[in-house]
Amino acid sequence: MKFLKPSIASAIVALSLAACGGGGGGGDQSPAVKFTSLVSFGDSLSDVGSYKTPGIASLGGGKYTVNSATAQIWVDRIASQLAVPTPCPAQTGLNASGALAAFAGPVTNHAECTAYAQGGSRVTNPIGPWNAALLASPDPTTAFQGQLGQLTVPVTTQISNHLAKTGGSFNGKELVLVLAGANDVFMNLATVGTTTTPAQAATAMATAAVELSNLVKTQIVGKGAKYVVVVNLPNISLTPSALASEASKPGSQALTDAVTQAFNSQLASNLNGVQGVVLVDAYAQSTDQAKNPAAYSLTNVTTPACSSTSPANPLQGYSLTCSSASTIAGDVSRYQYADPVHPTPYAHDLLARLVSLGMSRAGWL
Amino acid sequence: MKTKLHSIALVSLLASSLAAAGAAQAQTAGTWMLRGGVTHLMPDVDSGNMTAPSLPNTQIDVGNDTRLSGGLTYMLTNNWAIDLPLALPFKHDIVGAGAIAGAGTLGTVKALPITVFMQYRFAEANTALRPYLGAGVTYSKLYDETGSAALSGITGGSPSNPTLLSADSRFGLTLQAGLSYSFNEHWFVDGAVVKSFVKTKATLSTGQTIEAKLNPVAVMVGVGYKF
Repeated sequence: MKFLKPSIASAIVALSLAACGGGGGGGDQSPAVKFTSLVSFGDSLSDVGSYKTPGIASLGGGKYTVNSATAQIWVDRIASQLAVPTPCPAQTGLNASGALAAFAGPVTNHAECTAYAQGGSRVTNPIGPWNAALLASPDPTTAFQGQLGQLTVPVTTQISNHLAKTGGSFNGKELVLVLAGANDVFMNLATVGTTTTPAQAATAMATAAVELSNLVKTQIVGKGAKYVVVVNLPNISLTPSALASEASKPGSQALTDAVTQAFNSQLASNLNGVQGVVLVDAYAQSTDQAKNPAAYSLTNVTTPACSSTSPANPLQGYSLTCSSASTIAGDVSRYQYADPVHPTPYAHDLLARLVSLGMSRAGWL
Repeated sequence: MKTKLHSIALVSLLASSLAAAGAAQAQTAGTWMLRGGVTHLMPDVDSGNMTAPSLPNTQIDVGNDTRLSGGLTYMLTNNWAIDLPLALPFKHDIVGAGAIAGAGTLGTVKALPITVFMQYRFAEANTALRPYLGAGVTYSKLYDETGSAALSGITGGSPSNPTLLSADSRFGLTLQAGLSYSFNEHWFVDGAVVKSFVKTKATLSTGQTIEAKLNPVAVMVGVGYKF
Protein backbone atom coordinates (compact mmCIF):
# COMPACT_ATOMS: atom_id res chain seq x y z
CA MET A 1 0.00 0.00 0.00
CA LYS A 2 2.63 2.46 1.07
CA PHE A 3 4.52 2.23 -2.19
CA LEU A 4 1.48 3.53 -4.01
CA LYS A 5 1.36 6.77 -2.21
CA PRO A 6 4.29 8.62 -3.82
CA SER A 7 3.13 7.91 -7.35
CA ILE A 8 -0.43 8.92 -6.71
CA ALA A 9 0.67 11.98 -4.82
CA SER A 10 2.98 12.95 -7.67
CA ALA A 11 0.23 12.39 -10.17
CA ILE A 12 -2.05 14.66 -8.23
CA VAL A 13 0.70 17.27 -8.00
CA ALA A 14 1.25 16.89 -11.72
CA LEU A 15 -2.45 17.29 -12.30
CA SER A 16 -2.54 20.54 -10.41
CA LEU A 17 0.61 21.78 -12.13
CA ALA A 18 -0.91 20.88 -15.47
CA ALA A 19 -4.00 22.80 -14.56
CA CYS A 20 -1.83 25.88 -14.11
CA GLY A 21 -0.94 25.56 -17.78
CA GLY A 22 2.65 24.60 -18.48
CA GLY A 23 4.27 27.17 -20.71
CA GLY A 24 6.08 25.58 -23.64
CA GLY A 25 9.65 26.47 -24.38
CA GLY A 26 12.14 26.35 -27.17
CA GLY A 27 13.68 23.20 -25.75
CA ASP A 28 17.29 22.43 -26.41
CA GLN A 29 18.29 24.72 -29.25
CA SER A 30 21.91 23.67 -29.33
CA PRO A 31 22.64 21.39 -32.26
CA ALA A 32 23.82 17.83 -31.71
CA VAL A 33 27.14 18.72 -33.31
CA LYS A 34 28.89 21.66 -31.67
CA PHE A 35 30.09 23.55 -34.74
CA THR A 36 32.67 26.22 -34.09
CA SER A 37 32.60 28.03 -37.42
CA LEU A 38 31.15 28.11 -40.86
CA VAL A 39 33.17 27.94 -44.08
CA SER A 40 31.39 28.64 -47.34
CA PHE A 41 32.50 28.08 -50.93
CA GLY A 42 30.50 29.01 -53.99
CA ASP A 43 28.97 31.81 -56.00
CA SER A 44 26.46 34.64 -55.70
CA LEU A 45 23.90 32.36 -54.07
CA SER A 46 26.24 32.16 -51.06
CA ASP A 47 27.99 35.53 -51.30
CA VAL A 48 27.65 37.40 -48.01
CA GLY A 49 29.09 40.66 -49.32
CA SER A 50 32.34 40.26 -51.28
CA TYR A 51 31.45 43.19 -53.50
CA LYS A 52 30.03 45.49 -50.87
CA THR A 53 32.37 48.29 -51.83
CA PRO A 54 31.50 51.82 -50.68
CA GLY A 55 29.80 52.43 -54.03
CA ILE A 56 27.65 49.30 -53.78
CA ALA A 57 26.95 49.93 -50.10
CA SER A 58 25.78 53.48 -50.87
CA LEU A 59 22.93 51.94 -52.87
CA GLY A 60 22.05 49.69 -49.96
CA GLY A 61 23.39 46.66 -51.86
CA GLY A 62 25.99 43.99 -51.22
CA LYS A 63 24.26 40.64 -51.44
CA TYR A 64 22.43 39.01 -54.33
CA THR A 65 18.94 39.40 -52.95
CA VAL A 66 16.59 42.18 -51.91
CA ASN A 67 19.09 43.89 -49.63
CA SER A 68 18.19 45.45 -46.30
CA ALA A 69 19.82 45.80 -42.91
CA THR A 70 18.27 42.51 -41.83
CA ALA A 71 18.29 40.58 -45.13
CA GLN A 72 19.90 37.19 -44.68
CA ILE A 73 20.90 34.74 -47.35
CA TRP A 74 20.81 31.02 -46.60
CA VAL A 75 24.43 31.01 -45.39
CA ASP A 76 23.64 33.75 -42.85
CA ARG A 77 20.58 31.88 -41.68
CA ILE A 78 22.43 28.63 -41.16
CA ALA A 79 25.08 30.51 -39.15
CA SER A 80 22.35 32.08 -37.00
CA GLN A 81 20.78 28.71 -36.37
CA LEU A 82 24.03 27.12 -35.34
CA ALA A 83 25.00 30.19 -33.29
CA VAL A 84 28.40 30.35 -34.97
CA PRO A 85 29.98 33.73 -35.81
CA THR A 86 28.25 35.65 -38.59
CA PRO A 87 30.03 34.78 -41.82
CA CYS A 88 32.11 37.57 -43.37
CA PRO A 89 33.63 37.67 -46.86
CA ALA A 90 37.16 36.29 -47.11
CA GLN A 91 37.92 38.69 -49.93
CA THR A 92 36.34 42.02 -50.82
CA GLY A 93 36.72 44.40 -53.72
CA LEU A 94 35.49 45.05 -57.21
CA ASN A 95 37.52 45.74 -60.37
CA ALA A 96 34.92 48.15 -61.71
CA SER A 97 35.63 50.44 -64.61
CA GLY A 98 34.04 52.66 -67.23
CA ALA A 99 30.43 53.56 -66.57
CA LEU A 100 30.50 51.51 -63.36
CA ALA A 101 33.84 52.83 -62.04
CA ALA A 102 32.10 54.34 -59.02
CA PHE A 103 31.60 50.81 -57.66
CA ALA A 104 35.30 49.97 -57.69
CA GLY A 105 37.02 48.89 -54.48
CA PRO A 106 40.48 47.56 -53.70
CA VAL A 107 40.82 43.79 -53.60
CA THR A 108 41.50 42.93 -49.96
CA ASN A 109 41.80 39.56 -48.21
CA HIS A 110 40.40 39.13 -44.71
CA ALA A 111 42.29 36.48 -42.78
CA GLU A 112 39.63 36.13 -40.09
CA CYS A 113 36.79 35.54 -42.57
CA THR A 114 35.85 32.19 -44.08
CA ALA A 115 32.97 32.99 -46.45
CA TYR A 116 34.75 32.58 -49.77
CA ALA A 117 31.77 32.45 -52.11
CA GLN A 118 31.72 35.27 -54.66
CA GLY A 119 29.18 36.42 -57.19
CA GLY A 120 30.09 35.09 -60.63
CA SER A 121 32.38 32.32 -59.38
CA ARG A 122 32.60 29.08 -61.30
CA VAL A 123 33.94 25.68 -60.25
CA THR A 124 37.41 25.90 -61.79
CA ASN A 125 37.27 28.53 -64.53
CA PRO A 126 38.40 31.95 -63.22
CA ILE A 127 36.26 33.94 -65.65
CA GLY A 128 32.62 34.12 -64.57
CA PRO A 129 29.79 36.51 -65.37
CA TRP A 130 30.52 40.23 -64.92
CA ASN A 131 34.29 39.58 -64.67
CA ALA A 132 36.54 42.36 -65.98
CA ALA A 133 37.97 39.94 -68.56
CA LEU A 134 34.65 40.17 -70.38
CA LEU A 135 35.25 43.83 -71.27
CA ALA A 136 36.73 42.56 -74.52
CA SER A 137 33.59 40.60 -75.42
CA PRO A 138 32.08 41.38 -78.84
CA ASP A 139 28.63 41.10 -77.24
CA PRO A 140 27.72 44.59 -75.99
CA THR A 141 25.73 43.35 -72.97
CA THR A 142 28.53 41.06 -71.87
CA ALA A 143 31.08 43.83 -72.41
CA PHE A 144 28.95 46.22 -70.31
CA GLN A 145 28.81 43.65 -67.52
CA GLY A 146 32.61 43.40 -67.63
CA GLN A 147 32.68 46.95 -66.31
CA LEU A 148 31.46 45.76 -62.91
CA GLY A 149 34.61 43.67 -62.59
CA GLN A 150 33.36 40.88 -60.29
CA LEU A 151 36.35 38.98 -58.91
CA THR A 152 34.82 35.53 -59.59
CA VAL A 153 37.54 33.57 -57.80
CA PRO A 154 36.68 29.96 -58.73
CA VAL A 155 35.74 27.43 -56.06
CA THR A 156 38.95 25.49 -56.55
CA THR A 157 40.97 28.62 -55.67
CA GLN A 158 38.59 29.53 -52.84
CA ILE A 159 39.34 26.17 -51.24
CA SER A 160 43.10 26.41 -51.76
CA ASN A 161 43.03 29.93 -50.30
CA HIS A 162 41.34 28.58 -47.20
CA LEU A 163 43.77 25.69 -46.86
CA ALA A 164 46.69 28.10 -47.27
CA LYS A 165 45.27 30.08 -44.37
CA THR A 166 44.73 27.11 -42.05
CA GLY A 167 47.94 25.24 -42.63
CA GLY A 168 46.49 22.83 -45.12
CA SER A 169 43.61 21.27 -43.26
CA PHE A 170 40.13 21.65 -41.81
CA ASN A 171 39.81 21.17 -38.05
CA GLY A 172 36.76 18.92 -38.32
CA LYS A 173 34.50 21.23 -36.31
CA GLU A 174 33.47 23.57 -39.10
CA LEU A 175 30.33 23.33 -41.11
CA VAL A 176 31.42 23.59 -44.74
CA LEU A 177 28.85 24.80 -47.26
CA VAL A 178 29.32 24.27 -50.99
CA LEU A 179 27.01 25.55 -53.71
CA ALA A 180 28.41 26.20 -57.19
CA GLY A 181 27.86 25.48 -60.84
CA ALA A 182 25.19 27.97 -61.87
CA ASN A 183 27.71 30.31 -63.49
CA ASP A 184 29.13 27.35 -65.39
CA VAL A 185 25.59 26.84 -66.72
CA PHE A 186 25.32 30.48 -67.80
CA MET A 187 28.77 30.62 -69.38
CA ASN A 188 28.39 27.29 -71.15
CA LEU A 189 24.96 28.21 -72.50
CA ALA A 190 26.21 31.60 -73.71
CA THR A 191 28.26 30.01 -76.46
CA VAL A 192 25.74 27.37 -77.58
CA GLY A 193 24.73 28.03 -81.18
CA THR A 194 27.79 30.09 -81.97
CA THR A 195 30.93 28.17 -81.03
CA THR A 196 29.53 25.14 -79.16
CA THR A 197 26.73 22.58 -79.42
CA PRO A 198 24.14 21.70 -76.75
CA ALA A 199 25.86 18.33 -76.30
CA GLN A 200 29.15 20.06 -75.63
CA ALA A 201 27.49 22.28 -73.03
CA ALA A 202 26.04 19.24 -71.26
CA THR A 203 29.41 17.52 -71.32
CA ALA A 204 31.08 20.63 -69.94
CA MET A 205 28.56 20.72 -67.08
CA ALA A 206 29.10 17.06 -66.26
CA THR A 207 32.81 17.80 -66.20
CA ALA A 208 32.24 20.74 -63.85
CA ALA A 209 30.29 18.42 -61.54
CA VAL A 210 33.13 15.91 -61.54
CA GLU A 211 35.55 18.72 -60.72
CA LEU A 212 33.37 20.03 -57.90
CA SER A 213 32.78 16.61 -56.38
CA ASN A 214 36.49 15.81 -56.60
CA LEU A 215 37.22 19.07 -54.79
CA VAL A 216 34.75 18.09 -52.08
CA LYS A 217 36.26 14.65 -51.75
CA THR A 218 39.96 15.44 -51.93
CA GLN A 219 40.28 19.07 -50.83
CA ILE A 220 37.51 19.32 -48.23
CA VAL A 221 36.68 15.88 -46.79
CA GLY A 222 40.18 14.67 -47.67
CA LYS A 223 41.65 17.55 -45.71
CA GLY A 224 39.79 16.83 -42.51
CA ALA A 225 36.32 18.37 -42.85
CA LYS A 226 33.69 16.18 -41.19
CA TYR A 227 30.54 18.15 -41.85
CA VAL A 228 29.99 19.24 -45.43
CA VAL A 229 26.74 20.37 -47.00
CA VAL A 230 26.72 20.35 -50.79
CA VAL A 231 23.68 21.97 -52.37
CA ASN A 232 22.93 20.98 -55.93
CA LEU A 233 21.81 23.46 -58.57
CA PRO A 234 18.30 24.80 -58.25
CA ASN A 235 16.05 24.43 -61.27
CA ILE A 236 17.55 27.26 -63.34
CA SER A 237 15.11 26.60 -66.19
CA LEU A 238 12.28 27.98 -64.03
CA THR A 239 13.97 31.29 -63.22
CA PRO A 240 12.54 34.51 -64.70
CA SER A 241 15.71 34.68 -66.78
CA ALA A 242 15.10 31.28 -68.35
CA LEU A 243 11.42 32.04 -68.86
CA ALA A 244 12.32 35.25 -70.72
CA SER A 245 14.92 33.42 -72.84
CA GLU A 246 12.39 30.79 -73.78
CA ALA A 247 10.04 33.48 -75.05
CA SER A 248 12.69 34.90 -77.36
CA LYS A 249 14.55 31.69 -78.08
CA PRO A 250 12.26 28.63 -77.95
CA GLY A 251 14.02 25.51 -76.75
CA SER A 252 16.44 27.36 -74.51
CA GLN A 253 14.50 26.46 -71.39
CA ALA A 254 14.73 22.73 -72.10
CA LEU A 255 18.41 23.11 -72.86
CA THR A 256 18.98 24.98 -69.60
CA ASP A 257 17.27 22.18 -67.74
CA ALA A 258 19.22 19.50 -69.57
CA VAL A 259 22.61 20.99 -68.69
CA THR A 260 21.52 21.67 -65.11
CA GLN A 261 20.45 18.08 -64.71
CA ALA A 262 23.66 16.86 -66.34
CA PHE A 263 25.52 18.68 -63.58
CA ASN A 264 23.25 17.55 -60.76
CA SER A 265 23.12 13.89 -61.70
CA GLN A 266 26.89 13.72 -62.03
CA LEU A 267 27.29 15.50 -58.69
CA ALA A 268 24.88 13.11 -56.97
CA SER A 269 26.53 9.99 -58.31
CA ASN A 270 30.01 11.20 -57.43
CA LEU A 271 29.12 12.25 -53.89
CA ASN A 272 26.86 9.32 -53.13
CA GLY A 273 27.94 7.66 -49.91
CA VAL A 274 30.81 10.04 -49.16
CA GLN A 275 31.16 10.13 -45.39
CA GLY A 276 30.46 13.54 -43.89
CA VAL A 277 28.69 14.93 -46.94
CA VAL A 278 25.03 15.86 -46.98
CA LEU A 279 23.76 16.53 -50.49
CA VAL A 280 20.78 18.87 -50.43
CA ASP A 281 18.36 18.64 -53.35
CA ALA A 282 17.64 22.30 -54.08
CA TYR A 283 16.65 21.30 -57.59
CA ALA A 284 13.67 19.27 -56.39
CA GLN A 285 12.55 21.89 -53.90
CA SER A 286 12.87 24.82 -56.29
CA THR A 287 10.91 22.86 -58.89
CA ASP A 288 8.20 22.17 -56.34
CA GLN A 289 8.18 25.78 -55.19
CA ALA A 290 7.52 26.88 -58.77
CA LYS A 291 4.71 24.36 -59.23
CA ASN A 292 3.23 24.53 -55.77
CA PRO A 293 4.00 28.02 -54.44
CA ALA A 294 1.14 28.25 -51.94
CA ALA A 295 2.55 25.38 -49.87
CA TYR A 296 5.62 27.49 -49.29
CA SER A 297 3.64 30.72 -48.79
CA LEU A 298 5.20 32.11 -51.95
CA THR A 299 3.07 34.71 -53.67
CA ASN A 300 5.03 34.98 -56.92
CA VAL A 301 7.52 32.60 -58.50
CA THR A 302 8.03 34.21 -61.91
CA THR A 303 8.44 37.98 -61.45
CA PRO A 304 11.61 39.51 -59.98
CA ALA A 305 10.99 41.65 -56.90
CA CYS A 306 13.70 44.11 -57.94
CA SER A 307 12.57 46.73 -60.39
CA SER A 308 14.60 46.86 -63.62
CA THR A 309 13.66 50.50 -64.12
CA SER A 310 14.12 51.94 -60.65
CA PRO A 311 16.47 54.94 -60.62
CA ALA A 312 17.65 53.68 -57.22
CA ASN A 313 19.29 50.69 -58.95
CA PRO A 314 21.67 51.66 -61.80
CA LEU A 315 22.30 47.96 -62.58
CA GLN A 316 18.75 47.62 -63.95
CA GLY A 317 17.29 45.22 -61.48
CA TYR A 318 20.49 43.29 -60.74
CA SER A 319 20.07 42.21 -57.14
CA LEU A 320 23.61 43.11 -56.01
CA THR A 321 22.44 46.74 -55.96
CA CYS A 322 18.78 46.05 -55.22
CA SER A 323 17.32 47.09 -51.92
CA SER A 324 13.87 47.56 -50.52
CA ALA A 325 14.13 51.08 -52.03
CA SER A 326 14.25 49.68 -55.56
CA THR A 327 11.68 46.89 -55.65
CA ILE A 328 8.57 46.90 -57.78
CA ALA A 329 5.31 48.19 -56.30
CA GLY A 330 3.39 46.00 -53.88
CA ASP A 331 4.31 43.45 -51.25
CA VAL A 332 7.26 41.44 -52.56
CA SER A 333 8.19 39.88 -49.22
CA ARG A 334 7.01 36.44 -50.36
CA TYR A 335 8.35 36.55 -53.90
CA GLN A 336 10.70 33.76 -54.96
CA TYR A 337 13.02 35.88 -57.07
CA ALA A 338 14.83 39.11 -56.32
CA ASP A 339 16.23 39.42 -59.85
CA PRO A 340 16.03 37.16 -62.91
CA VAL A 341 18.12 34.44 -61.22
CA HIS A 342 18.67 35.23 -57.52
CA PRO A 343 16.27 34.46 -54.65
CA THR A 344 14.67 36.90 -52.24
CA PRO A 345 15.53 36.67 -48.53
CA TYR A 346 12.36 34.64 -48.08
CA ALA A 347 13.40 32.12 -50.75
CA HIS A 348 16.81 31.99 -49.08
CA ASP A 349 15.03 31.20 -45.83
CA LEU A 350 13.23 28.31 -47.55
CA LEU A 351 16.57 27.02 -48.84
CA ALA A 352 18.04 27.29 -45.36
CA ARG A 353 15.15 25.20 -44.02
CA LEU A 354 15.84 22.52 -46.60
CA VAL A 355 19.51 22.53 -45.66
CA SER A 356 18.51 22.25 -41.99
CA LEU A 357 16.34 19.27 -42.83
CA GLY A 358 19.28 17.57 -44.51
CA MET A 359 21.52 18.33 -41.54
CA SER A 360 18.85 17.14 -39.15
CA ARG A 361 18.52 13.85 -41.03
CA ALA A 362 22.27 13.43 -40.76
CA GLY A 363 21.95 13.83 -37.00
CA TRP A 364 23.84 17.12 -36.92
CA LEU A 365 21.05 19.28 -35.46
CA MET B 1 -30.29 0.68 -22.53
CA LYS B 2 -33.36 1.08 -20.38
CA THR B 3 -33.21 -2.52 -19.23
CA LYS B 4 -29.54 -2.07 -18.45
CA LEU B 5 -30.26 0.93 -16.30
CA HIS B 6 -32.98 -0.97 -14.55
CA SER B 7 -30.67 -3.82 -13.86
CA ILE B 8 -28.00 -1.43 -12.59
CA ALA B 9 -30.48 0.01 -10.14
CA LEU B 10 -31.65 -3.41 -9.17
CA VAL B 11 -28.18 -4.83 -8.74
CA SER B 12 -26.97 -1.82 -6.82
CA LEU B 13 -29.93 -2.04 -4.50
CA LEU B 14 -29.23 -5.70 -3.98
CA ALA B 15 -25.53 -5.03 -3.53
CA SER B 16 -25.97 -2.31 -0.98
CA SER B 17 -28.19 -4.54 1.11
CA LEU B 18 -25.54 -7.25 0.86
CA ALA B 19 -22.89 -4.75 1.88
CA ALA B 20 -25.03 -3.65 4.76
CA ALA B 21 -25.25 -7.26 5.78
CA GLY B 22 -21.47 -7.21 6.21
CA ALA B 23 -20.71 -9.54 3.34
CA ALA B 24 -18.16 -7.15 1.80
CA GLN B 25 -15.34 -9.11 0.26
CA ALA B 26 -14.03 -9.67 -3.27
CA GLN B 27 -15.34 -7.12 -5.77
CA THR B 28 -18.67 -6.47 -4.22
CA ALA B 29 -20.57 -3.25 -4.29
CA GLY B 30 -18.96 -0.58 -2.16
CA THR B 31 -15.46 -2.02 -2.53
CA TRP B 32 -12.63 0.43 -3.08
CA MET B 33 -9.69 -0.87 -5.06
CA LEU B 34 -6.43 0.96 -5.18
CA ARG B 35 -3.68 -0.20 -7.53
CA GLY B 36 -0.20 0.75 -8.54
CA GLY B 37 1.92 -0.33 -11.47
CA VAL B 38 3.16 0.90 -14.79
CA THR B 39 1.51 2.13 -17.97
CA HIS B 40 3.03 2.04 -21.41
CA LEU B 41 1.43 4.65 -23.64
CA MET B 42 1.75 4.18 -27.40
CA PRO B 43 0.28 6.92 -29.58
CA ASP B 44 -0.98 5.56 -32.90
CA VAL B 45 -0.64 8.81 -34.77
CA ASP B 46 -2.54 9.67 -37.92
CA SER B 47 -1.03 13.00 -38.86
CA GLY B 48 -2.44 15.65 -41.09
CA ASN B 49 -0.15 17.83 -43.17
CA MET B 50 1.45 20.93 -41.76
CA THR B 51 0.04 24.16 -43.12
CA ALA B 52 2.12 26.52 -45.26
CA PRO B 53 4.90 27.37 -45.33
CA SER B 54 6.24 23.86 -45.14
CA LEU B 55 7.38 21.09 -47.42
CA PRO B 56 4.24 19.48 -48.82
CA ASN B 57 3.33 16.35 -46.86
CA THR B 58 5.12 17.47 -43.69
CA GLN B 59 3.82 15.24 -40.90
CA ILE B 60 4.61 14.23 -37.35
CA ASP B 61 4.74 11.11 -35.28
CA VAL B 62 4.77 10.76 -31.52
CA GLY B 63 6.88 8.28 -29.60
CA ASN B 64 5.95 5.91 -26.78
CA ASP B 65 6.56 6.33 -23.08
CA THR B 66 6.26 4.28 -19.90
CA ARG B 67 5.47 5.75 -16.49
CA LEU B 68 4.49 4.66 -13.01
CA SER B 69 0.76 4.53 -12.80
CA GLY B 70 -2.08 3.42 -10.64
CA GLY B 71 -5.74 3.86 -10.24
CA LEU B 72 -8.72 3.87 -8.03
CA THR B 73 -11.83 1.80 -8.66
CA TYR B 74 -15.11 1.92 -6.82
CA MET B 75 -17.62 -0.87 -7.17
CA LEU B 76 -21.03 0.72 -7.56
CA THR B 77 -22.59 -2.71 -7.72
CA ASN B 78 -21.18 -6.21 -7.85
CA ASN B 79 -20.61 -5.65 -11.60
CA TRP B 80 -20.57 -1.94 -12.31
CA ALA B 81 -17.65 0.18 -11.25
CA ILE B 82 -16.19 3.61 -11.68
CA ASP B 83 -12.50 3.60 -12.45
CA LEU B 84 -10.05 6.47 -12.33
CA PRO B 85 -6.60 5.58 -13.65
CA LEU B 86 -3.77 7.78 -12.44
CA ALA B 87 -0.32 8.08 -13.88
CA LEU B 88 2.75 10.23 -13.71
CA PRO B 89 2.83 12.55 -16.71
CA PHE B 90 4.09 10.91 -19.88
CA LYS B 91 6.78 12.59 -21.90
CA HIS B 92 6.67 11.93 -25.60
CA ASP B 93 9.11 12.75 -28.36
CA ILE B 94 7.61 14.38 -31.42
CA VAL B 95 9.43 13.26 -34.54
CA GLY B 96 9.18 14.13 -38.21
CA ALA B 97 7.15 12.00 -40.63
CA GLY B 98 6.11 12.22 -44.27
CA ALA B 99 8.27 14.75 -46.10
CA ILE B 100 10.35 15.34 -42.97
CA ALA B 101 10.78 11.69 -41.99
CA GLY B 102 14.14 11.05 -40.43
CA ALA B 103 14.51 14.64 -39.25
CA GLY B 104 14.92 13.46 -35.69
CA THR B 105 13.29 14.83 -32.58
CA LEU B 106 11.37 18.00 -33.30
CA GLY B 107 10.25 18.47 -29.75
CA THR B 108 8.70 16.90 -26.71
CA VAL B 109 5.33 17.15 -25.08
CA LYS B 110 4.08 16.02 -21.69
CA ALA B 111 0.77 14.22 -21.63
CA LEU B 112 -1.56 13.57 -18.76
CA PRO B 113 -4.55 11.64 -20.00
CA ILE B 114 -7.29 12.02 -17.39
CA THR B 115 -9.99 9.40 -17.84
CA VAL B 116 -13.06 8.36 -15.94
CA PHE B 117 -14.31 4.92 -16.90
CA MET B 118 -17.58 3.21 -16.33
CA GLN B 119 -16.73 -0.48 -16.11
CA TYR B 120 -18.67 -3.68 -16.25
CA ARG B 121 -16.93 -6.53 -14.42
CA PHE B 122 -18.01 -9.99 -15.47
CA ALA B 123 -18.62 -13.02 -13.27
CA GLU B 124 -19.62 -13.26 -9.64
CA ALA B 125 -18.31 -10.72 -7.17
CA ASN B 126 -16.08 -13.18 -5.36
CA THR B 127 -14.73 -14.94 -8.45
CA ALA B 128 -10.95 -14.76 -8.48
CA LEU B 129 -10.60 -13.98 -12.18
CA ARG B 130 -12.82 -11.18 -13.43
CA PRO B 131 -12.54 -9.75 -16.91
CA TYR B 132 -14.00 -6.35 -17.43
CA LEU B 133 -14.84 -3.83 -20.13
CA GLY B 134 -14.92 -0.10 -19.71
CA ALA B 135 -15.78 3.03 -21.57
CA GLY B 136 -14.95 6.53 -20.58
CA VAL B 137 -14.21 10.09 -21.37
CA THR B 138 -10.60 11.25 -21.54
CA TYR B 139 -9.25 14.72 -21.22
CA SER B 140 -5.91 14.55 -22.95
CA LYS B 141 -3.95 17.25 -21.17
CA LEU B 142 -0.89 18.24 -23.22
CA TYR B 143 1.57 20.69 -21.73
CA ASP B 144 5.21 21.66 -21.30
CA GLU B 145 5.82 21.42 -25.03
CA THR B 146 9.37 22.07 -26.12
CA GLY B 147 10.99 22.57 -29.50
CA SER B 148 14.48 21.72 -30.66
CA ALA B 149 17.28 22.90 -32.91
CA ALA B 150 15.83 20.66 -35.64
CA LEU B 151 12.35 22.19 -35.33
CA SER B 152 13.75 25.71 -35.44
CA GLY B 153 15.95 24.82 -38.40
CA ILE B 154 13.23 23.41 -40.59
CA THR B 155 10.69 26.10 -39.75
CA GLY B 156 12.90 29.18 -39.92
CA GLY B 157 13.67 29.77 -36.24
CA SER B 158 17.03 30.22 -34.56
CA PRO B 159 18.42 29.94 -31.04
CA SER B 160 17.71 33.63 -30.42
CA ASN B 161 14.24 33.25 -31.84
CA PRO B 162 13.39 29.58 -31.40
CA THR B 163 10.30 28.05 -32.91
CA LEU B 164 7.89 27.36 -30.07
CA LEU B 165 5.36 24.59 -30.10
CA SER B 166 2.00 24.39 -28.42
CA ALA B 167 -0.42 21.49 -28.56
CA ASP B 168 -4.13 21.67 -27.78
CA SER B 169 -5.58 19.56 -25.00
CA ARG B 170 -8.76 17.84 -26.10
CA PHE B 171 -11.50 15.51 -24.89
CA GLY B 172 -11.87 12.06 -26.40
CA LEU B 173 -13.54 8.70 -26.02
CA THR B 174 -11.69 5.79 -24.42
CA LEU B 175 -12.42 2.07 -24.37
CA GLN B 176 -10.91 -0.40 -21.95
CA ALA B 177 -10.61 -4.17 -21.67
CA GLY B 178 -9.01 -5.69 -18.63
CA LEU B 179 -8.64 -8.58 -16.30
CA SER B 180 -8.19 -8.70 -12.54
CA TYR B 181 -7.12 -11.67 -10.51
CA SER B 182 -7.63 -11.77 -6.75
CA PHE B 183 -5.15 -13.71 -4.66
CA ASN B 184 -7.11 -13.29 -1.51
CA GLU B 185 -9.54 -10.92 0.16
CA HIS B 186 -7.33 -7.92 -0.31
CA TRP B 187 -4.67 -8.34 -2.92
CA PHE B 188 -5.12 -8.57 -6.66
CA VAL B 189 -3.28 -8.07 -9.90
CA ASP B 190 -4.80 -6.09 -12.72
CA GLY B 191 -4.03 -5.66 -16.39
CA ALA B 192 -5.83 -3.62 -19.00
CA VAL B 193 -5.52 -2.44 -22.55
CA VAL B 194 -6.96 0.95 -23.28
CA LYS B 195 -7.61 2.66 -26.58
CA SER B 196 -8.36 6.36 -26.72
CA PHE B 197 -9.65 8.40 -29.60
CA VAL B 198 -8.21 11.87 -29.14
CA LYS B 199 -6.91 14.52 -31.48
CA THR B 200 -4.65 17.46 -31.05
CA LYS B 201 -3.72 20.50 -33.02
CA ALA B 202 -0.17 21.73 -32.70
CA THR B 203 0.63 25.34 -33.43
CA LEU B 204 4.11 26.70 -34.09
CA SER B 205 5.22 30.19 -33.21
CA THR B 206 6.22 30.50 -36.88
CA GLY B 207 2.54 30.26 -37.74
CA GLN B 208 2.12 26.75 -39.11
CA THR B 209 -0.36 24.33 -37.62
CA ILE B 210 -0.78 20.59 -37.86
CA GLU B 211 -3.68 18.39 -36.84
CA ALA B 212 -3.05 14.86 -35.67
CA LYS B 213 -5.08 12.00 -34.29
CA LEU B 214 -3.08 10.65 -31.37
CA ASN B 215 -5.35 7.64 -30.69
CA PRO B 216 -3.02 6.05 -28.14
CA VAL B 217 -3.12 2.48 -26.98
CA ALA B 218 -2.12 2.08 -23.36
CA VAL B 219 -1.15 -1.14 -21.64
CA MET B 220 -1.47 -1.03 -17.88
CA VAL B 221 -0.40 -3.58 -15.31
CA GLY B 222 -0.56 -3.22 -11.59
CA VAL B 223 -0.96 -4.73 -8.18
CA GLY B 224 -3.87 -3.61 -6.07
CA TYR B 225 -5.47 -3.71 -2.70
CA LYS B 226 -9.14 -3.88 -1.91
CA PHE B 227 -10.76 -2.40 1.12
